[in-house]
Amino acid sequence: MNTHVPRFEPVAQQNLDWLGTEPIPASAYYDPAWFELERQAVFRRSWLQIGHVCELPEPGSFVRREIEVAHASILIVRGKDLRIRAFHNVCTHRGTQLVAEEAGRQSSFSCPYHRWTFSGEGELVGAPDFEQFHVTKADCALPAIAVDICAGMIFISFAEHPPVLREWLGDLAERLEALPIAKATTFTEYVYEIDANWKLTYDNFQENYHLRFIHPRSSGGGTGPDNPFGYPARYGFHGPHRTQTIWVNSEAPLPSTATQVAFGTAMQRLAAQGVTATEDGRDYFALFPNFFLFGSPAQHFSHMVMPINATRSRGVFRLYWIGEDSSASERFAREHLMALTRDVHSEDRGVIEAGQRGLSSGALRHIHFQTQEVLCRHLYNEVEAAVRAYQAETAAGIT
Amino acid sequence: MSAQLPKGFAALEPFAERWAGATAAERADLRAAHAIAERDAFAAACAPLLAQGLARLDQTPLAEQDEAEQRLMRLLLTYAHVSLAAVQGPDEAMHARLRTDMRITRTPADV
Repeated sequence: MNTHVPRFEPVAQQNLDWLGTEPIPASAYYDPAWFELERQAVFRRSWLQIGHVCELPEPGSFVRREIEVAHASILIVRGKDLRIRAFHNVCTHRGTQLVAEEAGRQSSFSCPYHRWTFSGEGELVGAPDFEQFHVTKADCALPAIAVDICAGMIFISFAEHPPVLREWLGDLAERLEALPIAKATTFTEYVYEIDANWKLTYDNFQENYHLRFIHPRSSGGGTGPDNPFGYPARYGFHGPHRTQTIWVNSEAPLPSTATQVAFGTAMQRLAAQGVTATEDGRDYFALFPNFFLFGSPAQHFSHMVMPINATRSRGVFRLYWIGEDSSASERFAREHLMALTRDVHSEDRGVIEAGQRGLSSGALRHIHFQTQEVLCRHLYNEVEAAVRAYQAETAAGIT
Repeated sequence: MSAQLPKGFAALEPFAERWAGATAAERADLRAAHAIAERDAFAAACAPLLAQGLARLDQTPLAEQDEAEQRLMRLLLTYAHVSLAAVQGPDEAMHARLRTDMRITRTPADV
């Protein structure tokens, strides 16, 4: 039997020339003025992934999300009609934030200040002594923002007229819907805050050049003699979004018994649930501007990097699962698979912050991306294009 | 002292008090909470009993576990974290510091 595995060939620069090779302005990673442009041009205009339908299982279920980059607190609620809506978490009387809880279930939302009460559909249903006001209740509904669903993922947009979500996602929408996340009913979550720009943080997770240096012990089969840096097998570009197909060293030593037990159990359970590995199982989906999803069914993790300001961000990792823990073995598998991914991700935070300190010093005018850091370049290009378009519209008086 | 774990798991009894974390975040913290020698002894005691322990626990629905079974479950879940210390080897102490900033906020086991 011929077991020869072709030698790994990294993606050639000539296939990526269209993205350019120029240095990137360092100020884009720390300058508050540039960040303000990103806020307006990117985060107030793009669809932002902020949750999953499994968080809203019943009428009245809600989650609150703080979106600092939009200076907004958002309530996402499943109404009595089962529709999911998103509102500013702001009482229409005098602006008080309505809900302090992070999540819950209730049929109405009352402002703590003067007890104006809103339905799960956002209507003002009661206000003490309302006859003294000079507006109608219909004019006092909660301010709604755009919300849409793809593959079970909840996206919001602050744009007044956002594009249709499926058009925004393009050909990725169908691929996302074929992934386990579309059927997920629960998740594991770990979060971090970081003194670093959102792009600097995000970029760390879309280049593999650092694997052998930052993850020498935890990266397992991510590198090998044929591919010492663990570069991806291929890249995909989909409008503002991008994908990479990760390379796996098929000759890597077996992991620990605990890890083998966990993967074995997870794969068995997924097979019983009718989930089989697809071609996208090794694909890492990067949805513009700040969201990742890894297609692997057993370690099906997402990662959202939310800017707080120019040099501070918050990351939310989730591993999505179908069904509650059905057995002790499955509970063990999920706990171990989470610990495994958390181990790797813990190793990145410190070096990203070190990068931010260097950039924020202003010592560099430019940074450099090599061929295999092309996904970072693509993100910068897309952000810059959005900023330039916004500036042109502003100059022309369109916005 | 009376047994705190199901029959057949006496080797884990010395760890029953200190290593059965109630939540995933507690279990993750336990990985670095005690002396290295104790951590390694816990891992060495769990490793040969992992398959047997899970097989024993799989006989009972999770919601119907008695106290002893729950404790064994939690010990094995702590081992899900502690087993990774061996992967980090000499870097484990440094790695423990990195992990503290990656806060576990939810798992199906905690819901």
